[in-house]
Amino acid sequence: MIVPINVATSSSNPKLPPGLAKISDDEVVLIELQGSLDVECNQISERNGKFVGKLKVDASTNKPTLLIGHHLLEGKIASLSRPLAVLLRSGAASTTPAASTARTDIDGDGDDVEMMDFDQRTLESGKTTEWDMVAIVKRKIVFAKRPMPVVNLNGHHET
Amino acid sequence: MTEYDLHFSPSSSRDAGSFKLLELPSDLCKLIEDAMESMTPLRFKIKGKADENAVLCTANKTFAIRSVALSNSVLVVTPPPDTSSLDFTADAVVIRDQVSEILELTPSVPKLHTTLASLRGREYDDGQEDDGMNESPDDMKKITYDDALRTIQASDIEIDLGLKSRHILIINGELRPISRPYLDRLLELILNVLIALSLPHNSAPVEALSSSLADEHDVPRTVSTQVMSWFGTMQHGKWKMDVNALIKEVGLGVLRHHRHDPINRDDLVAKWKSLVGDAFESRVDLGLLSGSYLASTSDPESLTYFPTSLLPIDPAARFADLFLTRSRWKAKDITPFLADIAVDSKERDKLLLKFARATTDADGVWYTARAQYNG
Repeated sequence: MIVPINVATSSSNPKLPPGLAKISDDEVVLIELQGSLDVECNQISERNGKFVGKLKVDASTNKPTLLIGHHLLEGKIASLSRPLAVLLRSGAASTTPAASTARTDIDGDGDDVEMMDFDQRTLESGKTTEWDMVAIVKRKIVFAKRPMPVVNLNGHHET
Repeated sequence: MTEYDLHFSPSSSRDAGSFKLLELPSDLCKLIEDAMESMTPLRFKIKGKADENAVLCTANKTFAIRSVALSNSVLVVTPPPDTSSLDFTADAVVIRDQVSEILELTPSVPKLHTTLASLRGREYDDGQEDDGMNESPDDMKKITYDDALRTIQASDIEIDLGLKSRHILIINGELRPISRPYLDRLLELILNVLIALSLPHNSAPVEALSSSLADEHDVPRTVSTQVMSWFGTMQHGKWKMDVNALIKEVGLGVLRHHRHDPINRDDLVAKWKSLVGDAFESRVDLGLLSGSYLASTSDPESLTYFPTSLLPIDPAARFADLFLTRSRWKAKDITPFLADIAVDSKERDKLLLKFARATTDADGVWYTARAQYNG
């Protein structure tokens, strides 16, 4: 089977705020955590859109910090030894309207030969597998230290 | 100090698993950046069957893909999607996905062998042009060019090159390796026609050559033009012969009859020269055949046919075979037989380090098999 990867040459995706855009790519920033974000919820969709924490990047020292609840993480901006391409599955839950119509097409219109072909090849997963290269990232934000407890200063509720 | 609100994306439950991080070798990265800059669309393909290791193919290169697990997790953070119904502040960013593996790419040799090996028995021989009549009984083996592009784990250009170098014709879209005796005869005919029509070998009109071959020797045009393209370049209806490639092939034609009974070096060269004719006699050089013959250890003048193409592809098996054939090798003797399983000399030396033992004596470096105690 063949899985195509498309390199996006131009995009109309929303851009990151300038302070984050300058880290590496104007659309995607990678944040590395030791461990992972583990959210207690009954259904995974419960966390959708929920507030996680405050990310700060000091403009003068370039030191990033991440405040999650009572925990403050101090990090740094690190260069990647090799650039990373960020691939986004297209046809999967995507936020761009074009992609979502394409998806409806697959479900609705069985006559489309190419789409059929795709369905055939990806029967197990039941999804179209095509990937878009949305960004090339050369630097990332790394939070490698243990979090420090802080007194909750002004009122962001813990998640 | 700038502050950003970090949220889970409104679609985070659906986004999960839809991001992958792909480590880019520098040449690939440059290729992509150039394409992004010049706004040229660029496409890669990940190829592989369910039981194969996936490879990533650019237009002309093949990379093996390996997944590397990370102990840390990487959050993919983007601006909030504008279609979102939730109100985000201007400085909000959202976590789209948590990734805990990276895909690594390593350059790989094109994996042409298995598919092309299954073409055995589909050889194209003299007088088979009306194929529809005598369809081979074993129709299952039929492989079309499109099949090859789809299933072979190699880039399109590498596949084309592989078909050329293995002398596989595309007849009515189907892959047909040319039969050796027929190729030998064709090459002789081409050389003869060049002389007979006194055409310059560096700029011969394709039309004149192929019609002469078709009219006088019943060689279908589609065959003659493909054969010409294997041994030269065609541009504006002119064929520029790759003299060395063609001469080499003629030499192989002589040599291949001597798989078991050796041929004397001088006899080989004499026979070879007579086949290529006066015009190209001076270009005959045994060096062209490196990687295809073995000189006997007792009598370096006596040569046997020993083609790389018939050796196993797997490095371990290849070395095992080589060391069965001969217990020790000079570096310069063994390297021609490793060229097609290593992308460059560095990787070749790595293979030598792994599978062979180097010893040095008065004659220089010798490679011998590593002891395999585990059978």
